[in-house]
Amino acid sequence: MSALSNSTWDRRNVLRAAMGLAAAGGLAACGGNNGRGGGASGVNLTQYFHAYGEQGTEQAIKRYAKAYDKANVTTQWITSSDFESKLFATLLTDKAPDLFEFHPQIQLVRSGQVADLTDLVAPVKSDFNPADITSHTVDGKIYGVRMIDDPQFFFYRKSLLEQAKVEVPTTLDELMEAAAKLTTGKVKGLYMGNDLHSVNDTLIWSAGAQHLDAKNEIAYHTDGVVEGLKKMRKLFTSGDLLLGAPTESWDPSSFTQGLCAIQFCGMWAMPAIQEALGDDWGVFPFPKTVDSGKQSVYNGGWSMFVNAKGKNVDAAKEYVKWLWIDQKKYQEDWATSYGFHIPPRASLAQSATKLKSGNAAEGVRLFNEFGHFDNIGWTQAMRTAFEDVFANSVRKDMDPEAALDKCDTVVNRELKKLFG
Amino acid sequence: MSVTKTPDLARPAPAKASPARPRRGLRGSATLNFWLFTGPFLIGLAIFIYAPILWSVWLSFFDARFTVTPDKFIGFDNYTYMLTNDDFVGSLGTFTVFAAFIVPTTWAFSLGLALLVNRLRFMRAFFRSVFFLPTACSYVAASLIWKMSIFSGVRFGLMNTVLGWFGIENIAWLADPNPPWYWLVIVSARLWLQSGFYMILFLAALQNIPGELYEAAAIDGAKPGWQTFRHITLPQLRATSTAVVLLLLIAAYQAFDEFFNLLSKTTWGRPPLVELYYKALGESQDYGAGSAGAVILTVLICVVTLFQGRIMGFGRGDESK
Amino acid sequence: MPQLDETPPTRRTRRGGRGRNVMSSTGLYFATAVAAFLFLVPFYLILRNALSTDAEITGENWQFFPTDLQWGNIGALFDDSSVPFARSLWNSTVVAVLHTVGVLLICSLAGYGLARIPYKHANKIFYVVLGTLMVPTAVTFVPSFVLVSSLGWVDTYRGLIIPGLFSGFTCFLFRQYFLGFPKELEEAARVDGLGYWGAYWRVVVPNSLNFFAAIATITFINGWNAFLWPLVIGQDPSAWTVQVALSSYTTGQTVVFHQIFMATAISILPLLFVFLFLQRWLVQGIAQTGIKG
Repeated sequence: MSALSNSTWDRRNVLRAAMGLAAAGGLAACGGNNGRGGGASGVNLTQYFHAYGEQGTEQAIKRYAKAYDKANVTTQWITSSDFESKLFATLLTDKAPDLFEFHPQIQLVRSGQVADLTDLVAPVKSDFNPADITSHTVDGKIYGVRMIDDPQFFFYRKSLLEQAKVEVPTTLDELMEAAAKLTTGKVKGLYMGNDLHSVNDTLIWSAGAQHLDAKNEIAYHTDGVVEGLKKMRKLFTSGDLLLGAPTESWDPSSFTQGLCAIQFCGMWAMPAIQEALGDDWGVFPFPKTVDSGKQSVYNGGWSMFVNAKGKNVDAAKEYVKWLWIDQKKYQEDWATSYGFHIPPRASLAQSATKLKSGNAAEGVRLFNEFGHFDNIGWTQAMRTAFEDVFANSVRKDMDPEAALDKCDTVVNRELKKLFG
Repeated sequence: MSVTKTPDLARPAPAKASPARPRRGLRGSATLNFWLFTGPFLIGLAIFIYAPILWSVWLSFFDARFTVTPDKFIGFDNYTYMLTNDDFVGSLGTFTVFAAFIVPTTWAFSLGLALLVNRLRFMRAFFRSVFFLPTACSYVAASLIWKMSIFSGVRFGLMNTVLGWFGIENIAWLADPNPPWYWLVIVSARLWLQSGFYMILFLAALQNIPGELYEAAAIDGAKPGWQTFRHITLPQLRATSTAVVLLLLIAAYQAFDEFFNLLSKTTWGRPPLVELYYKALGESQDYGAGSAGAVILTVLICVVTLFQGRIMGFGRGDESK
Repeated sequence: MPQLDETPPTRRTRRGGRGRNVMSSTGLYFATAVAAFLFLVPFYLILRNALSTDAEITGENWQFFPTDLQWGNIGALFDDSSVPFARSLWNSTVVAVLHTVGVLLICSLAGYGLARIPYKHANKIFYVVLGTLMVPTAVTFVPSFVLVSSLGWVDTYRGLIIPGLFSGFTCFLFRQYFLGFPKELEEAARVDGLGYWGAYWRVVVPNSLNFFAAIATITFINGWNAFLWPLVIGQDPSAWTVQVALSSYTTGQTVVFHQIFMATAISILPLLFVFLFLQRWLVQGIAQTGIKG
């Protein structure tokens, strides 16, 4: 707590200093009224972040912002399930944030919502993970700067698997078997979130398919995916799956509280899991959906975008460059001091010692070996349409073919609007 | 604004108004007075309610994605899209089922509570307060208690704990739609939040029923209990019942908060408002289609309300007064 | 005016034998007690969870009461700098109070005008008001937000309060009530030379305080409990209301049970007080509404 009160104290001091320094005192006082941090310059920027669950993340983002002296950067820390609606609603207004974090999605580019950041990234382009460049590129221009990569895979309790004499599963069938063997009384074998949406993407990849092909046509509607959906339905009704947990799968609580033996989660949760379970855990990728498939890992993450319709596009770009291109120390702090994330910059990934050993190193290996990145053409509307496939054919008992057909209609409508 | 007049409220009314005040012709200034009284309200209504409504209607004829100031007129495309959209049409079905169930249930439940409390001799105020208290809670708070504590799908949920005493396995109340336990969650939350208020309405009406009616009925040989209830109490509550049904219907149309909070990421159990919210705001940012859906919904609500008014005679009383 | 806490009239009619009376009243109290118990369970859960540690709440076995009451949870809630909970309580108070005053003033005037001042288009205007009841609020939510934001009212009390003042429903309730208001009282006021305005403030309002109190309570509750609108208007945490703060605990990545429930408990507390004190007026006011027909 003392750290927290310190930070407000600091902020007040900075504000006071700023007020003393600023010749135009009125301006600073005005900023103070708005709860904005101090700074000698008159440019005010607002940035949107979704609420990260790890302790200290909000303070960190605000600390970086305060260290910037060319603009007053205000952070809106938005609780996650409201993040999209709030972001999208405000982007329409003159209260829109100047910069925001989100995932690369082409509709933002097509509607002219996000600014071209090619000139920022170009000088260090080679230092970025090439996949992080590709996933942010439309027609040769780069529209966002990746801050962190978040590989997502399964976490398992070593001791529980040993007790039940279960090997680490490599196929979906083995996973189902393992879940059944690991389910005992109050502990369920497996947790993949209450809605199972976290494994949507990996199910497609592990079936040897992908979302869209190179011509931006549907590529997820394959026999392998259909078979995978049927297996998921079987798993869902088997009683071996933890359902109705209070936290979703991005939070490791269900795993650490001992509600399940295996949970799908993200690399960010590693420090929390380590603290709760010591060394009694390991990670493995999403198993092969069908024999012809391949194990896969979803390389999610968050990127910074500049609102092209904002009032301070140039100042916002400068801030993005300063923090997410130049300030490597902050980038490393952000990636490894709270939850674990993989820095998209090769130079940082190499020097990040916390990711060099134990399960973290294993996570990095899975990221490199099995990882798939976002396809920028796969938009939020398509994402939701595919989530509905899971809702309809896994949680309810609709025929997977019919559910996929329904999804095709929506996706084709989107594709037509985006690519003609 | 007329806000400046508030102090009058506190000032004690003088026994006689000052005779020096010029007497206003009542009929002559009626129109002016009418606007004086209703003006502030109507202006606000125009700006904050009707302007957005019209804006929505206008949007519904445009290809408005990621913008609320579109320029591509597309006629009725949004309407055909919404009317052929399974999810939206399905949600209209959901809403109908939901309304058809929740309205009579809440009606009966709150009437039952009112009858109980009305017959109590001791601790009436206490029990009335107990039933009334949940009215103070928000849907946000209730959804939270229901989701996190009562109907949590894991072992530390209250319902699962209680069932566990009888050796019944944990149930995923909200995550698994088969069987559709989620309706139990939704309905119980709604009953808890709403019934107390309607109980008060019924209680007030019950106490307005003249005791003589019951005495007369007893003399005529009506047995206390069902007979008196059927032939005296219920007819006497007719007006209140009508009002309660109307209020419940409006509340059912507006159902959003608890569905939104309890049933995220489903394709079932979605009332139209939730569907529209996701359409317009959540994923696709399709304000055109969202607005078209809103217009369809509004028209539907108007029809249902007018129909219901015809049947139950609501509003007829006004004109005769 | 009904005196609600008096012996109900129905009692006089029960003339069964004494034994039957005792039987039925035992059953009556039993049924009421069971219902009351069920109604109180959620409140019990709020308190239990608010004063427990998370380990106790999520533990293997159900604990009816925390081993040690964790009063420190209150302090922890207010110390958490990521959610300005104290500030949000204050915002909610300001918003709910001003909302209530504004709604009462504007809607009662309009309701009176519609009910009692003869004007040839009054009925048409009434239907214009009634029409707003049929349009769900969330439908117009986006255009409303854009409109309010273009007025520069985001993050302000104005933006939180003013758009919500024009409640068609409250206006409708007032109209129904004033339709049943005794005409003689107003006639007398007019004979004394008061215009509509004078008669309204000096005769109508002072004789309607019960009803005003009832509407005030309902309006206050709605103002305090509103969620969707404050969620979008309160962009900056300093402009959050308590419901928004509450939802921010539940939707964050991690779930801290005791914090969530302590916040819930504190958010409900003011309303419980309002309720317990104003209940009598509320009940009496409702008894007088046009609702009863």
